[in-house]
Amino acid sequence: MNTAIQASGLGKRYRRAWALRDCTLAIPEGRVAGLVGPNGAGKTTLLRLAAGMLTPTCGTITVLGQRPGAGPAQLARVGFVAQDTPIYSRMTVADHLRLGAWLNPSWDDHLARQRISQLALNPKQRAGSLSGGQRAQLALTLALAKRPGLLILDEPVASLDPLARREFLRGLMEAVAGQGLSVLLSSHLVADLERVCDYLVVLVASRVQVAGEVSDLLASHHRLSGPRRDRAALPAGQEIITESHTDKQSSLLIRADGPVLDPAWAVKPVSMEDLVLAYMSRAGDDGPASPQRLKVAS
Amino acid sequence: MIRLSMLQLRAQAIIAAAALIAFAILLAATGPHLASLYAASGLDGCKPASCGQRASSFLQLANSTSPYAAVNTLSILVIALTPALTGLFWGAPLLARELETGTFALAWSQSVTRTRWLAVKLAVGGLAAMAVTEALSLLFAWWAAPLGRAAGLGGSGNLGTSQFNPLAFVTHGITPLGYAAFAFTLGVTAGALIRRTVPAMAVTLAIFAAVQIAMPLWIRPNLFPASHTTVPIAFSDTTLNLYTTSRHTFTYSLATDDGLPGQPEAWIRSSGAANAAGHPVSTAVPSACLPAARSSGPGPALANCLTSRGIRIAVTYQPVSRYWPLQGTETSICLLLSLALAGYCFRRLSRLS
Repeated sequence: MNTAIQASGLGKRYRRAWALRDCTLAIPEGRVAGLVGPNGAGKTTLLRLAAGMLTPTCGTITVLGQRPGAGPAQLARVGFVAQDTPIYSRMTVADHLRLGAWLNPSWDDHLARQRISQLALNPKQRAGSLSGGQRAQLALTLALAKRPGLLILDEPVASLDPLARREFLRGLMEAVAGQGLSVLLSSHLVADLERVCDYLVVLVASRVQVAGEVSDLLASHHRLSGPRRDRAALPAGQEIITESHTDKQSSLLIRADGPVLDPAWAVKPVSMEDLVLAYMSRAGDDGPASPQRLKVAS
Repeated sequence: MIRLSMLQLRAQAIIAAAALIAFAILLAATGPHLASLYAASGLDGCKPASCGQRASSFLQLANSTSPYAAVNTLSILVIALTPALTGLFWGAPLLARELETGTFALAWSQSVTRTRWLAVKLAVGGLAAMAVTEALSLLFAWWAAPLGRAAGLGGSGNLGTSQFNPLAFVTHGITPLGYAAFAFTLGVTAGALIRRTVPAMAVTLAIFAAVQIAMPLWIRPNLFPASHTTVPIAFSDTTLNLYTTSRHTFTYSLATDDGLPGQPEAWIRSSGAANAAGHPVSTAVPSACLPAARSSGPGPALANCLTSRGIRIAVTYQPVSRYWPLQGTETSICLLLSLALAGYCFRRLSRLS
């Protein structure tokens, strides 16, 4: 399977500190991938490296098989909506579409105009006077109308109100369905990712804690509760992600290759939010480097 | 990309065009009348040797007739300031504003490499700045042509400034092109380094002003070796100052006022008392001339006495034939600096964002 993004030992250091270090991941093509992690995990740096905005300090990254930003052809294949959805506040909406048409050989003017009219944006309006939601939609329109193979969005909905957020994500999903593109978007609002993503990457302190198809991840993780017992009692093929114990009770979140057969456990399915929080808190307690080591979680 | 650069430069271009048009109207409205004043003064076909007086009276007439003196001063200021203004308002924001507002991420994620993006922006902005400055300079050169001709005939007066005057030198000829290019790329570089528009503008202004001060003071005079000559003390064209150092001793200083005889347009760097061989002599008044100094002060009697003692005025100067070589060299320096700054911006570009 072709990968949309493949990184190996990827690192980026700014003058003083590493923003991303030793990051390895592979995201297959054709997915809407959600990237979650705490602040400072390196999400923005990773996305900027993928978009070709930054050059890596070490390691490699390929996007759709090529080095990011390698040339005009590669730039044309990747759409990027940066954090805070920057637009030129002094230029009008129509000017932005003109900019897109001038700078992108693959520009789909019909698509751009259609989206602008669907959004009921006035082409003569200055972009600086748009609402946050409209601004994000304009930035998304620019990124979509260049007809990229991969669309990268950095916290596109973070500053939007719930309604604008829903509208934005709906527009995104329509475009994905229509264009068949791959998407990588970061957010720390797991509920939004749950709505749109079919692939999930949890990044903590530069390390990928877990990555995979959302349906597989949800099917292979379970919340177990039952009488207190030692983790050693778990059969092979089951891994504890987090655990908490009271005097009498144990409560675990585990990853299991097969069904949990032990009748002593009450088995419940997990939500995406449970999953994300479990991996984030495990990494927080455990240090990023040792997924095999297990400790008592809070 | 060229169209985007022009779109983004639109507001600045409108202001520049409006200023250019206003300037052209002002000069077009007053220029023909100045030319007719020149024609009426009968200077056409004059020889430099014989028309100095008449040229001076034309220059005085022009100076006292409204609005020529004001238009002349205003034009020189506008042309001298235009490179700085384009550097500040076109150059400095070019990268700084994109970095400050985050729009670089929008610009650089289109299907255009950022190297090409910068190349086009530098070319469009830099050429526009050069064109505007040179257009102003050429308009003014047309307007001021009668004044220049009168000065060339040996006329003196407020409006008959030498073409080597520091302000005249950077507002005429090809130097405006060089300074416009330099100020613009300086602004872009400051923006790339400082990443914030207003501080970048301040730094641009400070450095550009420093260069414009350093150039006439220390660099331009030394671009070509100066020529030396000695001229006789002609009391009417000479400044002769007399200083009393004690009751019985006097010192004097000598300088030419109105340029070199036969070379009224030469750029005089320094002048002082010398012997016939051109070697500097003591500025103490020779004892033979003390009576003249005591009785009539720094007058013709003292001048004659000094002349009879073999004292002449030594002059260090650049001949007028050096005007275009100096213009060319100074413009080349500015353009080379611009290229170096632009090259640095390209190198810096991969590390920005």
